Amino acid sequence: MTIDSQQRRALLKVLGAGCGCCICGAAGARLLEYPLHATEIASKTWAVHGELSHFNLENGGNIVNVAFIEVPDGVVVIDTGPSKRYGQALLTLIEKTVPGRPVLRVYNTHHHPDHCFGNQVFDQSLIAAPQGVIDNINLDGNGFADNMYRLVGDWMRGTAPVAPGVALEAGKEEIGGRQFSLFYLSGHTSADFVVRDDTTGVVFSGDLAFLFRAPTTPHADIATWQGAINELSGLDKDLILPGHGPADKRGESLVQTSDYLAWLEDTLTGAVDSGLTMNEAMQLPIPDGFSSLSVVREEFERSVVHLYPALEDQLMPLIDVTR
Amino acid sequence: MVHSKKFLSISKLMLSAVLLACSALAQAAAPADPFGSVMWQAMVDRYFTGGDVVFDQRVKVIAPYSAENQMHVPITVDATGLENVKQIVAVADLNPIQHVLTVRPKQALSFIGFRLKLQQSSPIHVGVQTEDGTWHMGGALIDAAGGGCTAPAAAHGTSNWMQTLGETRALVRRDSKGDARMTVRMRHPMDTGLAAGIPVFYMNKMVVKDEAGGVIAELDLFEPVSENPTITLKPAVGSSASQLAVSTRDTEGNEFSFPLSVPAVTTQ
Ligand SMILES: [Zn+2]
Repeated sequence: MTIDSQQRRALLKVLGAGCGCCICGAAGARLLEYPLHATEIASKTWAVHGELSHFNLENGGNIVNVAFIEVPDGVVVIDTGPSKRYGQALLTLIEKTVPGRPVLRVYNTHHHPDHCFGNQVFDQSLIAAPQGVIDNINLDGNGFADNMYRLVGDWMRGTAPVAPGVALEAGKEEIGGRQFSLFYLSGHTSADFVVRDDTTGVVFSGDLAFLFRAPTTPHADIATWQGAINELSGLDKDLILPGHGPADKRGESLVQTSDYLAWLEDTLTGAVDSGLTMNEAMQLPIPDGFSSLSVVREEFERSVVHLYPALEDQLMPLIDVTR
Repeated sequence: MVHSKKFLSISKLMLSAVLLACSALAQAAAPADPFGSVMWQAMVDRYFTGGDVVFDQRVKVIAPYSAENQMHVPITVDATGLENVKQIVAVADLNPIQHVLTVRPKQALSFIGFRLKLQQSSPIHVGVQTEDGTWHMGGALIDAAGGGCTAPAAAHGTSNWMQTLGETRALVRRDSKGDARMTVRMRHPMDTGLAAGIPVFYMNKMVVKDEAGGVIAELDLFEPVSENPTITLKPAVGSSASQLAVSTRDTEGNEFSFPLSVPAVTTQ
């Protein structure tokens, strides 16, 4: 993209924030519909894959993996997508795929908006997550909503954050005749929740694992995240559905995420220790092994902003100050 | 029309700025702004006076296209391609307080890294004034969410921030060319006075001197500099090891000073 068109686009945003101008009018005239598609990744288990991209006005925030499982007595849903409108489309897709089956349980893997902003269309008393996820949604939900409206616009109409009504703490629970193992981890955020369907062996990792898309780090603690990946690697499983990217039979998503995080931490540690400014760090090269990950340059630049301050506090020596 | 209200308030601001400037000195019209800022003429009249104003490729302003965290937007200015630099002035056109900082790099390369708060998407202009008075301009457009300048500092969420006020971390390194670079990071809330109930309180001065007391660089900092100011400079101190003396002051008169050791260039 040329500087000129970037500048023009940014200027339009500066001038046209929240207005009724031609750009917004054009978007409003379009019928916004999520093209959701259910892919059967294991027996009676469907993934709804989003784009390996960023939130934008074209995809309406549909960049995430959502899943649903037909269990003996009904349906279990894992994550709910980025908006109320997505939630409605998801309900329609579930009804089309497994007609007449009631939703018995909705799990939220973590509080990021692409994973839980479709909660609104489900009965709150069916939505379950660890207390940490509930607290995070209550804390950050409104801020996320503001930001999502800004990024994807009209797709968000009517969307408001809804925290799960059920706080989980058990290691297992049975839903509609199917047993699920529940894992309470952290690292991608302060509360990451992983669900395993003990019958199919499918692990729903949330954003602890990414595949072919660069991991995001706005609330990450890299060392803790690596520990969580280690734990997931040791789990009995037949398939992983990562938070973003295709279903993974061979544990590739765990390896790729772990390798990327190790490189990220090494690179930013080196950058802070060399006294590079954030802007200089953002320009560092991305090695061949990661350069094919979707949106890796953008995510790397974002990660510099997320991770630099803590690394500076950790790596720059304290100086004796006379006052 | 939804636009008109916004334009009206901006044009009012511009009008008052223009009137202010006119009363002091009649200004020539500024050159066209490649960043298309509606505040450009006002910025020139307020901050870039006393010489010609030209856009110059040698003023490199490195900024992210989109502010990931509008409380901490990193900016690096590299004007090392210019000789005889008197001062570097950075402004954020659409912030409620536009002036971010001024650096006078007396014995330092014309380079600075810092972070600023952005209230909304805004053009950033950086003017580098040379001894002949000319302002060499560079800039960037940054897309941001709202709230940067009026949100309270994160420090106010913690109980002991007064105890850690002025706590300093610093690092001096030689880069691959042998140039020294120092990064200083000091605890300070940098309160703008725009958040409800919190009076203005920010670090407003930083001076870096060499062993003999010669000034390396002087900085005037303003409210839009981010909480816990993190500043990178390149002192021109030759290739041997030396000591720097840094002193800072805030708007309450608190003073902090500390020495920094510059390593020698390692030869191989
Ligand atoms: Zn996430």
